[in-house]
Amino acid sequence: MTPHTPSETPLVQMIDIEKHFGGIRAVNGVSLDLYPGEVVGVLGHNGAGKSCLMRILSGAMLPNEGSIRVNGETAEIHNPHDARDLGIETIYQTLALADHLNAPSNLFLGRELKTRLGNLDDHKMMSETVRILKRLNPNFKNLTDPVSSLSGGQRQVIAIARAIYFDVKILIMDEPTAALGPSETAMVGKLIKQLRSEGIGILLVSHDMHDVFELCDRVIVMNKGQNVGSHPIEDVTKDDVLSLIIKGELPHDWVPRSQEKPQ
Amino acid sequence: MAVFDRSAAPPLMTLKLTAGSFHKLSALLTLAVLILVFSFGNAAFFSVNNGLTVLLQTSVIGLLGIGMTLVIITGGIDLSVGSVLALSGTITGLSIKAGVPVAPAMMLGVLTGAACGAFNGFVITKMRITPFVATLGMMLIARGIALQLTGAAPISRLGETFGILGNGSLFRIVEDTGGIFPKVVFPGIPYPAILLVVVALLAAYLLNRRQTGRHIYATGSNEEAARLSGVLVDRTKIFAYTLSGALAGLAGNVLMSRLVTVQPNEGVMYELDAIAAAVIGGASLMGGVGNISGTMIGAFIIGVLRNGLNMAGVSAFIQQIVIGFIVILAVYVDQIRNRR
Ligand SMILES: Nc1ncnc2c1ncn2[C@@H]1O[C@H](COP(=O)(O)OP(=O)(O)OP(=O)(O)O)[C@@H](O)[C@H]1O
Ligand SMILES: [Mg+2]
Repeated sequence: MTPHTPSETPLVQMIDIEKHFGGIRAVNGVSLDLYPGEVVGVLGHNGAGKSCLMRILSGAMLPNEGSIRVNGETAEIHNPHDARDLGIETIYQTLALADHLNAPSNLFLGRELKTRLGNLDDHKMMSETVRILKRLNPNFKNLTDPVSSLSGGQRQVIAIARAIYFDVKILIMDEPTAALGPSETAMVGKLIKQLRSEGIGILLVSHDMHDVFELCDRVIVMNKGQNVGSHPIEDVTKDDVLSLIIKGELPHDWVPRSQEKPQ
Repeated sequence: MAVFDRSAAPPLMTLKLTAGSFHKLSALLTLAVLILVFSFGNAAFFSVNNGLTVLLQTSVIGLLGIGMTLVIITGGIDLSVGSVLALSGTITGLSIKAGVPVAPAMMLGVLTGAACGAFNGFVITKMRITPFVATLGMMLIARGIALQLTGAAPISRLGETFGILGNGSLFRIVEDTGGIFPKVVFPGIPYPAILLVVVALLAAYLLNRRQTGRHIYATGSNEEAARLSGVLVDRTKIFAYTLSGALAGLAGNVLMSRLVTVQPNEGVMYELDAIAAAVIGGASLMGGVGNISGTMIGAFIIGVLRNGLNMAGVSAFIQQIVIGFIVILAVYVDQIRNRR
């Protein structure tokens, strides 16, 4: 019941990606596919290499080895600019906000709206920010304050808004709900479902099993820098996934749940 | 002055008293108190003539301070402006001696400053040398070149035209009384003061209304975030240092023109006045914070202090001591603000 047919070209193919820091093999030969309209959960223990893999796709980090294809074509992603040009938007685990700037300035950072004379169009940026934030959090205020004075959740909402405002085709979400309250988390869940119905491919890094099983079509588990399993969500249970995360392998008696005969 | 009234967090400032505007208000108050105290001490202090003198004297610190503000907002520092000022003046002077007309010669001087700044930016971004060390190096290099080229001797007899920029003024009204000295009705607005106002307005416009300005704030606020957002961080920094160098070159030409002599020894420790002006005006050495109007207030505090102490007959040595304390105080205020 995967949303893609095998003949379809993947939106993203990451092939044999390696990233080393001195002796540390943060990402050790990982391959990953993402199809249009698919939500893939990327799981793994702390330090498994999830963020590194995501940062490589978003151009924030250069891999030592490996290649990336977008829509079947080899993509040269040397910096975040390149990734954005390919429609890859990222919500970084660190959020990547400029503390002294306010919400609209952050939302449009690097892609500022301008008037005909080339001046910054702060009024337009403000009204657009109000519009998009209303969708995510109707109670959002403090739009003129520097974002350093906002709560962790509010900052996260700005980072999310920034990723979906522009023409996104591939969305990377590195623990997007870590600082959010229940209603904001529910809002993000709704947003993910909507984006997926629009054909956008989403990589969702999360430690929250409930969210993963609620939102993802497929899970990829990383263990010590390696991809130890990629499974449609209906083939695995939470225990199966936990086993992959902790031991790096499935339980010995595992059979794909979708092929299991009801007793 | 509408472009001036914006603090570090653009846009749409609320009426709320933000930390930035509080700092600016206290700096403005300090300036008012200084003027008041000096006026009580000496009636001649609070006169049109002396006001214009202060304006003239502040123009050099002000120009340096504007460039310094841009650099400080990116999270850097430029220790080379005093030396670059001297080198730029030297290049202008030597060019004039070589037969280049005054205006293009001055242009060459400013370009020299810009080149020094671009070099600073290159060393900082591409060689990844910290701004402190990179510009300390340039401070020695530029001064060394200026002294080497001139043999440490001043260049004089540069012609009357060379003195216009520093000594001329707009709307000067003189009444011919028939005597040897015509009566000066209005001394006019000195060109350096006009230059300062124009440059300040342009810099404020750049910082508040242009994408480059927004990127300067973003770079100093969180360099990694700016980079991830697609801001060309290196280019933004090189731009700031180049502008700082160019403004040091401009300040050098103003200063040497006022003296109608090129002094390769001029401008020693001016970088500290410029840093002090920016910091007194609310710029944070941690980056991401600062604005032109604040720096202008800071430059005037230093200018008024120098002028007032001079008129009160306080020695240059004591002046140094006072300004030294002010610098410490200003950085202390900066720290308290960051701790909150
Ligand atoms: N810039 C860096 N320099 C050196 N080592 C790094 C760097 N970034 C990550 N690492 C190392 O790479 C490994 C993988 O880190 P990564 O951030 O990808 O983990 P993660 O799976 O995202 O963990 P978490 O769940 O805690 O976010 C870790 O051992 C980390 O110490
Ligand atoms: Mg991570």
